[in-house]
Amino acid sequence: MANRLAGLASTVLRIRDKYILVSMLLALVLAGTLSCQPSSSSPTKSIVVTYSILGSIVKELVGDKATVTVSVPNGLDPHEWEPSAKDIEAINKADLVIENGLGLEGGMEKTLQAARDSGVKFFTASDYITVRHVGPGEGTSSGDPDQVVGAPDPHLWMDPIAMKGVVSGLASVLMQDLNLDVSSQAADLENRLDSLNAEVAQTVAAIPQENRKLVTGHESMGYFAQRYGFKLVGVIIPSLSTQAEVSAANLAELKKAIKDNQVKAIFTELGTSPAVAKVIGDETGVKVVELTTHALPGDGSYFTFLRNIAGVITNALK
Amino acid sequence: MDWLVTPFSSNGFMLHALIAGVLVSIACAIAGTFVILRGLAFIGDALAHGVLPGIAVAILVGFPGILGAAIGAAAMVGGITLITQRSRLSSDTAIGLLFIGMLSLGVVIVSRSNSFSGDLTRILFGEILGIGIPSILIQLAATIVIAALAIICARPFLLLSFDPEQAEVAGFSSRLYHNIMLFMIAITVIVSFQTVGTLLVFGMLIAPAGAGALMARRIEVMMLWAMLFGVLSMYFGLLISYHFNLAAGASIVIVTVAIFFIVFIMQNLRSRRAVRQQESAHG
Amino acid sequence: MDSAPYVQAKRLSIGYSNEVVVADISFELRQGEAIALIGTNGSGKSTLLKTIVGLLPPLRGEVAVFGMHPGSNPRRIAYLGQFHASGFVLPLRAVDVVRMGRFPSHGLWRRMGREDDEIVLSAMRAMGIEKLAESPLRSLSGGQQQRTYLAQVLAHQADLLILDEPAAGLDAGGRELYLQAIDNELRRGVSIVMATHDIQEEPALCNQVMLLARRVVALGTPQQVLTHDTLLETFGIVVFGDQRHVHVLEATHGHDDKERLGINKPRS
Repeated sequence: MANRLAGLASTVLRIRDKYILVSMLLALVLAGTLSCQPSSSSPTKSIVVTYSILGSIVKELVGDKATVTVSVPNGLDPHEWEPSAKDIEAINKADLVIENGLGLEGGMEKTLQAARDSGVKFFTASDYITVRHVGPGEGTSSGDPDQVVGAPDPHLWMDPIAMKGVVSGLASVLMQDLNLDVSSQAADLENRLDSLNAEVAQTVAAIPQENRKLVTGHESMGYFAQRYGFKLVGVIIPSLSTQAEVSAANLAELKKAIKDNQVKAIFTELGTSPAVAKVIGDETGVKVVELTTHALPGDGSYFTFLRNIAGVITNALK
Repeated sequence: MDWLVTPFSSNGFMLHALIAGVLVSIACAIAGTFVILRGLAFIGDALAHGVLPGIAVAILVGFPGILGAAIGAAAMVGGITLITQRSRLSSDTAIGLLFIGMLSLGVVIVSRSNSFSGDLTRILFGEILGIGIPSILIQLAATIVIAALAIICARPFLLLSFDPEQAEVAGFSSRLYHNIMLFMIAITVIVSFQTVGTLLVFGMLIAPAGAGALMARRIEVMMLWAMLFGVLSMYFGLLISYHFNLAAGASIVIVTVAIFFIVFIMQNLRSRRAVRQQESAHG
Repeated sequence: MDSAPYVQAKRLSIGYSNEVVVADISFELRQGEAIALIGTNGSGKSTLLKTIVGLLPPLRGEVAVFGMHPGSNPRRIAYLGQFHASGFVLPLRAVDVVRMGRFPSHGLWRRMGREDDEIVLSAMRAMGIEKLAESPLRSLSGGQQQRTYLAQVLAHQADLLILDEPAAGLDAGGRELYLQAIDNELRRGVSIVMATHDIQEEPALCNQVMLLARRVVALGTPQQVLTHDTLLETFGIVVFGDQRHVHVLEATHGHDDKERLGINKPRS
């Protein structure tokens, strides 16, 4: 008899469980549909910039005339970073998305393309500059397809004059597409960029010609080198993005190039293996210096950023 | 309660992710049921990792990842079949080495790509938030195929799970139906890896079906529970990843594993209670 | 009445690819007849059964079932193996297991109808488990599970039953039902090949008995075959005792078992 009861009880429990589960689900679905509210459209325009450095310039240009959001948090690698659901949502709903172009935002490619396809307005910074390409003798000849001479370099923010071009292009697009008048801010910004350019040129003048050789973590100093007369000797990670790994052959070549060119210092960056850099430094006797090329300094200013870069390089090489 | 629905209602990509997730749940519930019944967990895991080289080549060369996964799976199944046929001893070691080898091969291939670690992350952990309509259609087709196979082969599959000798004597070639089962699992992995990645798809295969096995007394009911649990995992996993900015694929798998353990604990408590009742009734 | 033999073996050698287990077996089984294979573990009983159903290929000689190769006619043969693979993780109810007996006659497609449900029910009744129909297999005792497997065999409604240790694990009640069911099947005209340890009740139902000890020790009627000398040869030990409670020990069992059961050496 007790056995029967136990059996009955467990059967009832089972049935009850099923009902509980189903009613929970129904309640959720019901509550969800009932509380569905239409989304309100905000009057201020929303602009999404993919990475922080470009973002700081955009913020200075736009001020509070629009809400500017940066996708990749400052300090993280824009080549690799992948957006979360909310980030994707922000991009899809933006009034304007400002991207760097030339494959900088590796991890965001799919999202950006999808947004483009669905009609979101885009501004690509690299459309407004003279694109630099990998030159012969730069990097190591590793046989990687992207080391082929001619691959475009996306690190345009290293040249303030290039940024000037971006600012002026952006100002007219903002007027055209978002009806935002930032002409006075643009003019001001362009002046300041000119001054910055002169300032940097003067700082690095302290480095004698024969020391103007840059060995970096990955080939991001191209535009800077071009603007201020440096030679790119070779990179520890022979590719234009931070994602490729380094092979033994590359390392050996790099060592040889360093010795041949009598380089004084090598610069490590975001994404460079510090162990690798140290090994090279130890073996060749050069100084190993850290260079923050992909992240803004504490005050969030592009200008401070570039001044710091110029300062670090000058101290290491003069 | 707004937060339960708006992420999906106001974002096309979230809705696509959910639809893809539901299709994957159905496929995994069906295939996963047989993985558990036949004790094919190890092979399921091997398949999930073995498709990596195929996917890697597809990405490098530029054709759809699913096609690459299909080729990789075919190679894997071929390899597993060869191994199990040749050796009378447990083939676990050989299969294990085979899939580790394939995994490493896949990583090596991907390392030639420009966006190495990004690609690898996407393959291993999925990119459910980036699934487009073409992928969903392929998943739909595959799920239909899987369901059809399960319905057609229901009897031999059941016999095979119960006793392979019985299946053979009953006139169903155990080798044929075993291979069909492997094929079914392979298709499931191929079609599901985009959602949660190859590393975690195994979880989607096992956990919902495992929880279903604990709940059900009949196989059909087990499969239904597995589908329900899979869908719930997708829904809440996506929701959690949205609201807390967490990786989508992994969030889904955490939910599905959590569901399994909740069911596990519940069943344990229930059976203990039943034993105590019986003991007090007899004592 | 079908006069062609249901099972016919001619100088059949059975075994695995690298070893012969039993050589030169010849026997015939007609409709409605039963043969018991008796021997220790490893004597070749299971191997012979598997060869008859087609799970193992014959090494030499021939064996024909219903005049055809083994395995050609799954509808007409039901097989009960000695060990059951995994099985206990499965969410399977007893009735699900018994229903599987109906699969061979339906193939992939044919739907099961009311008639099949009746057959399943009466098979379960025959083994006294109709009340356990909805119980999961894993919750049943060993004896109840064995009754379920036997019910599955009955549900098959085959013409030939190939059974390996069918009474293993059955309690007294189950054993009675089982013997009754075997009797009924034989009356129906079904033929049976059964491997067993029992030298009393089951052989009594059979027309022929074959003693195996990696070779055919004897073949004939139960009276002819089950003698002192043949049993000695088959098992390495013979027991005297109350006829109702004879236990045949296998040659592999040790001294202590013999002592425990109070078994004496034969008086010579």
